[in-house]
Amino acid sequence: MVPQQTESPSLELSALTKLIDSSSASGRPLAATTIQILHNLQHQHLWTSLQIHDISTPSNATGMGNIEGSISTAFDTPPTLISGIPPHRVYTHPDEQLFMLEKGIQEDDLQPERLFVIPTAQGQPWSLRRMAAVFDALPSLESSQREPVISTEATDTVDSEKAKKLDEYYERKGHARVTKEWGTKRVLLAMVNKGMGGEGTVVYYIVQEGEVKPRQN
Amino acid sequence: MDSTPTLPIPISYISGRYLLFSIDAVTYLRREHHICGVLIGTLPQIPQQNVFLGLPLELMPEEARLLVDKGVACIVDEAKAHDGMRSLLEEDRRQYLRELESQGQHAMRILADRKEQQREQTLRKLDEKKAKAQAAEVAKSAAGAEAAASSVPSPAEKDGPNSTLDIFGGDDKPSSPSPATLTNTPTPQQVMGITPATSYPPLPHPASLACELLSKPDVPLSYPVFAHLHSHGYFLSPGLRFGCQYVAYPGDPLRFHSHFLVVSAEWDQEIDIMDIVNGGRLGTGVKKGFLLGGPQKRRDEVDAEADRIDTVRTFSIEWAGM
Amino acid sequence: MADADEDAIRGTAVQATQIETDLSDETQDFRLLNHLNFLTDTSSSSLPRRGEKDFEPNPTEFQADVLSSSRQAMHNALAYPRLHNPKNQVIAFYAPDGPAPPPNVEQDTGKTTGRGASVSPDACVYVPNPKGQYFKTMGQADRWGRIWLLPEEALYLLERGSLDIRWPAEVTGGGGEEGADHELSIPMSLQAAYARLMGRGGLTLERFSVFTGLRRIGYSIYRAPGWDDLAEVAAPADENRKDAYTQPLRRGPGLAGILGSLFDWIHDPTSTSSTAAGPVVGCGIHRNYADVYRKLALIPWYDPTLATERDALDTPAPFRVIFHVYKPSTSIKKSARPPPDFRIAVINTREQTTAPTLPQLGALLESTPLDPPHGEKMERQMYMRLRHGYRNVILAVVDQGVTSFLRVADAAFGKEKLYESKNGPSGPKNSGNYRKKKR
Repeated sequence: MVPQQTESPSLELSALTKLIDSSSASGRPLAATTIQILHNLQHQHLWTSLQIHDISTPSNATGMGNIEGSISTAFDTPPTLISGIPPHRVYTHPDEQLFMLEKGIQEDDLQPERLFVIPTAQGQPWSLRRMAAVFDALPSLESSQREPVISTEATDTVDSEKAKKLDEYYERKGHARVTKEWGTKRVLLAMVNKGMGGEGTVVYYIVQEGEVKPRQN
Repeated sequence: MDSTPTLPIPISYISGRYLLFSIDAVTYLRREHHICGVLIGTLPQIPQQNVFLGLPLELMPEEARLLVDKGVACIVDEAKAHDGMRSLLEEDRRQYLRELESQGQHAMRILADRKEQQREQTLRKLDEKKAKAQAAEVAKSAAGAEAAASSVPSPAEKDGPNSTLDIFGGDDKPSSPSPATLTNTPTPQQVMGITPATSYPPLPHPASLACELLSKPDVPLSYPVFAHLHSHGYFLSPGLRFGCQYVAYPGDPLRFHSHFLVVSAEWDQEIDIMDIVNGGRLGTGVKKGFLLGGPQKRRDEVDAEADRIDTVRTFSIEWAGM
Repeated sequence: MADADEDAIRGTAVQATQIETDLSDETQDFRLLNHLNFLTDTSSSSLPRRGEKDFEPNPTEFQADVLSSSRQAMHNALAYPRLHNPKNQVIAFYAPDGPAPPPNVEQDTGKTTGRGASVSPDACVYVPNPKGQYFKTMGQADRWGRIWLLPEEALYLLERGSLDIRWPAEVTGGGGEEGADHELSIPMSLQAAYARLMGRGGLTLERFSVFTGLRRIGYSIYRAPGWDDLAEVAAPADENRKDAYTQPLRRGPGLAGILGSLFDWIHDPTSTSSTAAGPVVGCGIHRNYADVYRKLALIPWYDPTLATERDALDTPAPFRVIFHVYKPSTSIKKSARPPPDFRIAVINTREQTTAPTLPQLGALLESTPLDPPHGEKMERQMYMRLRHGYRNVILAVVDQGVTSFLRVADAAFGKEKLYESKNGPSGPKNSGNYRKKKR
């Protein structure tokens, strides 16, 4: 047996706990989850241009007197969103994939796209209303986050044929956005495991509005 | 098969369940209204298996409700309707029995012809087998050959023809029933007994008797999602065996794999985020999407359940693969 | 999470596609039936392979043609008539008022050659001249040699085309059984039989689906005492009952009691002698690990062999055994049936919308007899023992006509002292589930 030390050794805090502690947002109940998932996206999944967005749910307005200072449950706190640019495409609609295959377009040929993430924690109550509120807030968020179009002229070894195909692709994509045939609004739902014995694993699910047929691979 | 049965189609309400017994109604509803139901009966031609089942067809209350709302079907209290058997006119009763007898004779003739063909075929096979057996005998012991010969199935037992006798197809009913020969000494080999699928005839079409019609079926809270998906062209089946409420197919389940495992929730119903993860995982495991949806209005906010259908919003969930 | 989980999901995907090939799982392509030769292939029970299905509709004519032919095949299969060859036609009569003596029985009343009056009051169809194999396992004979059938038996036989049930003369007029003019009686249609027999004597569509589903594939299935939802234990359990099953650990009856006793254990330090005061294992000489482990076994565990026996009627519906089932290989005498091979509870998902609670399942299991693992294979393999359990019951979960069978067993992990076995656990690692889907 190891002899008892006179003073118990203080355990070193984990880097993540330090991050959450140091963050200015730590005063709010959901902030720790958001930061933890942001951290996971940044360091495990190598996302870039990460941002945090606050949206207000319309249900708040109708809610019964949300008195200042009362303990607000997770249920009526407006969800916070994260957005960022993943190193690889997370989701491609099956029909879009088919189109890309026909045109010989690789994912790497395409401009990276900003994806929005709903940070949640295990055990957190949700509702369809809350989910819908997130989706309803997406268009204005997305338009505020339009990436500057990276000029293809920048690379001087432009394969004109490829450029033409890409133009076709973007035109088709624009069209598909109107007809909604390649799916409509989509977000990534992130859930961090915080339950009993939760070890901080984060799982990610694609959520799309409406009936979007499943991928087959 | 492409015929349209008399509308509205009577759905039998029996002991709290919604059933269909008419093949024409089943085919029509599947083809024209994307309503499949679940076959729960035994097929008389192959009764010893559970892979292919036959009539009756059980409808979910949701399916029955949808059809009633569309004006395509009505709900008949079948137990009450069959009280009508007590008040059959003697003339109708005899007429019905004559029709059955004539169909039974018709069936007998067809089967006799088939049996003759079968017999010839079997004899031929028997001869071949015998020849083979003899050949085997030369090579091996005689004991094996005897066993082979006795294992030839007897053709007499099963009397089902290979393709369907379309006796109850509806269109080609014998218009002039042959004169009844109701002799008291039953001469076997004469008439096939028939168990008809439905009781109409001899009973009159139930839609004509308003007194036996029941009100619209009660439906669970998930009905708006059911109706919403149905209106978008999906075929829906009960889904508990796949871990959900409905399975949604993009076309007739006879030909297509399902796309979604569907779960419905009320707009403000609390959903554990873990259930969304579970659903997404369940679906991705079988290459299906997990579809979560519900109407934005509660029942107490609308006049009729139908008003909730247009307010349905759904979300498709798949594992992100990261 | 990334790597390990990816494998897990891919793994389930592979498994899932294997499960998908279970023929009874999804809607079948009835075109396959056209290829079955019903006449010559009576011996071979091999079924056709499922048809190829597409991912989604496309506007091709080919797809439309295939769908149309599938539907036609389905139509044909479902339109197949129920015919009764006069040579082996079995005629039965519907008796709306239940079992009754034949109408012309006055002069027979003195007859003492009765064949046992074991006819159930729920029987409502009788066969005057029983012949054929079905009555070996179905029906009950009355003193006049007629076989009386329960509604589910009659309906099953009619549905498979083996029984020609007639309306009685008092309903439709015309011929009845008497006077040899049954030709004048009206045959009951499938629809009529459902309308009249379903709902009689506690028969629900869900129970009937389970009955026919198992009958079709060769099992013999009978009503169990719990059939009647309202039937209760005749006399309340006597007070001595509890004493007869005193537990070594103080806890309430049943599976649910274990949680209570765990709770007690935590909050009642006097219940254990050594833990509260000193170290768990204590001082002294420990000569082997088994002794140490035995001292470490502090947490009370559930021993199914000591569980309270419960009357079969002492469990709330639907979590009660309503069917006794025998394998095709079990030989049964209708009059004296052996203990069943399986016990089944039937659950309608539209009435019971939640999973059973632990007390519900516990009570259900306690109402079944002790059926400990036995046999050489179980002796050897711990996981097989755990899986088999000490009591078991099958839940038939019927979701709108779709039935899933789940076997629930009482596993006794506490009885498996890993430290006592020499070689450690054996058997495949993934078979430790005590609950398995049958089907």
